Amino acid sequence: MFSFFGKKKKSASIAKDRLKIAIMSDRAGSDYPFMDDLKRDIIEVIKKYKGVSNIEIKKATSGDVDAISIEVELQ
Amino acid sequence: MSKVIAVISGKGGVGKTTSTANIGLGIAMNMKQCVVVDFDIGQRNLDMILGLENRVVYDMVQVMDSEATLDQALIRSKTNRNLYFLPASQTKDKSVLDSEKIEELLGELRKRFEYVILDAPAGIESGFEHTIEFADAAIVVVNPEVSSIRDSDRAIGILDSKSKKALEGGEVEKYLIINRYNPEMVEKEEMLASEDILEILSVDLLGIVPEDKGVIDASNKGLPIIMNEKSEAGKAYMRIAKRLCGNKVPIEEPKVKKRGLVGKLKGMFS
Repeated sequence: MFSFFGKKKKSASIAKDRLKIAIMSDRAGSDYPFMDDLKRDIIEVIKKYKGVSNIEIKKATSGDVDAISIEVELQ
Repeated sequence: MSKVIAVISGKGGVGKTTSTANIGLGIAMNMKQCVVVDFDIGQRNLDMILGLENRVVYDMVQVMDSEATLDQALIRSKTNRNLYFLPASQTKDKSVLDSEKIEELLGELRKRFEYVILDAPAGIESGFEHTIEFADAAIVVVNPEVSSIRDSDRAIGILDSKSKKALEGGEVEKYLIINRYNPEMVEKEEMLASEDILEILSVDLLGIVPEDKGVIDASNKGLPIIMNEKSEAGKAYMRIAKRLCGNKVPIEEPKVKKRGLVGKLKGMFS
């Protein structure tokens, strides 16, 4: 009934707006391109002292600050 | 100079394998030596679309493991003598792929063919990464639909960060195919228009393939739609193949079919 008063937004333009936002946040991403190399290097260092069974690295963004958290599971 | 082109999509079910088959056959129809390789280990499908499923004896993994020679595994197309097909393994899983062996296999294929087209698995897991690893170019297949476009952007991101060319500081060429485009819906603004998709993804457009019922009919028969000269989708794939072969063919936006009086009457009662 609102279409009486103004042009109703068509779904294609809704899709475009939603995609722009979703893709922008995807690109900001949960990953740095160097994550795999970093993982390998950390495993190398820790292996000198103790075996590593699993390693998890996450990128975290809070406001303007980027950080990474590293969780290493030992053998 | 031979060229390795990976056909990728992110999301599955957008017509990636159908596009691979049609592009491969189209390149062969343009008198170029072409091989299409099914990289979807464990879920082979390209053989069905090409109508070659009964000819499969050896697969790509057996060639990489030296259990079969490349000549034993390559299958020549029934419909075009310039087209060959290398099947995926149906029994093994994606973990069998190994970078060194893939590079060696692709090196062999480069020696024999001008165009090496790789059908990537859906998703962005290891199988996908192996497919794009040594590619010179990638064709991204999307549907004009939000989840397909979003997933393809993620696939492009991996292409730009993990392919050998990217790691060496270069850039993999990227081309976009918009598949299952419905001009009637675009006209009503119920479907994303091609220019909107290009604005969002910022990839060069290779072609727009209209939605066409003939595609399923063609896959039923194992005869890619490009062989049907009357089909709109077939014509679109032929233009794409010509562009890939270096011919300048203008991009055609699929148009709404003008209906005659009978068609209009039919439309009123449907």
